[in-house]
Amino acid sequence: MAFYNNEVARLTKSLYPHDDLTKHIIQSKLYIDKHFSENINLDKIAAKAHASKFHFIRLFKKYYGCTPNQYLQEVRIEKAKRILQKGKTIGEVCYAIGFRSKPSFISLFKKMTGLTPLAYQNKKSNFG
Amino acid sequence: MDSDYSIPFIIFAETFTFNIICMKVKWISVLVDDQKKALKFYTGILGFIKKTDVPMGEYSWLTVVSKEEPDGAEVVLEPMGFAPAKIYQKALKDAGIPLTMFHVENVQNEFERLEKLGVKFSMKPTQMGPTTLAVFDDTCGNNIQLIQV
Repeated sequence: MAFYNNEVARLTKSLYPHDDLTKHIIQSKLYIDKHFSENINLDKIAAKAHASKFHFIRLFKKYYGCTPNQYLQEVRIEKAKRILQKGKTIGEVCYAIGFRSKPSFISLFKKMTGLTPLAYQNKKSNFG
Repeated sequence: MDSDYSIPFIIFAETFTFNIICMKVKWISVLVDDQKKALKFYTGILGFIKKTDVPMGEYSWLTVVSKEEPDGAEVVLEPMGFAPAKIYQKALKDAGIPLTMFHVENVQNEFERLEKLGVKFSMKPTQMGPTTLAVFDDTCGNNIQLIQV
C-alpha cells in the first residue's frame, strides 16, 4: 500500500474511530440536504444523529467545520442562487428554500454573498 | 513624537484597505506528460468538456471544464515544460499522493463507471469521516482524487 493510502487509514482511525457516530452525523447532514426547504430545526436534525442538541452541534462542527445551522443556511443560499438564475421572483425563491420572511432571507443572502438577491439576479442576467 | 508617526500610518492603512482585491479561483493546473492524450482522457473518459485550446508554440493553452459548471473553474492541462516538474510529479505518483481532487456527488457510482472504462484505481472508495475518497491514475503521470462530502 502506498504512503497516501496508509495516511488515509491512519487519519481515519485516529480522527473518526466510531463508525456508528460517523454514520449518524452523515445522516443528519443528508437530512439537511434533502429537507432544507421545510420547516426543520435543530431538534429534528439532532434526532437523526441520535444525540442531544448541544453534543450534536459540537460533533457536527468537528466533522464539517461549521454548525448545523450554518450548514443549513449555506445549503439554502446556494439553492437560492440557482433559483434566482432561473428568473424567479424574490418571494418565490424565499419560500422555495424554506424562509418564511422575505426580509430575513434578503438580509442573510446579502450577508453571505455581498449582494442583495435582486442585485445578484441582475448581475447574473447581465453577465451570464 | 507618537503623533509624528501615527498620521502617515493611518493614511497608509486606509489606502491599503481600499485597494484590497477579491481573488477568485479561475484555473487549476494539472501537469500532464502529453496534452493530446490528456485531452482525450479528461473529456472522453472523465467527462469534462474542452473550454480553450490556444496554440502556443510547441504546446497549447488547453483547458477543460465540468459539464455542470461550464463557467466554473478551468482545469489547465499543462505541459511539462520544466524538467524538475517531472521529478516532482513522479515523487507524488510513487507515494500515491493525488496531484489534485475533483468533487463528485457519489464516489461509488463514479468508481464503478470509470472502472468499466478501464481506469485504474490505486485507492478504491474509502470512507474517511464524513467524506468518501477514491484515487485513480489519469494516465498522464498523476494520481487524481475523487471526493464526496
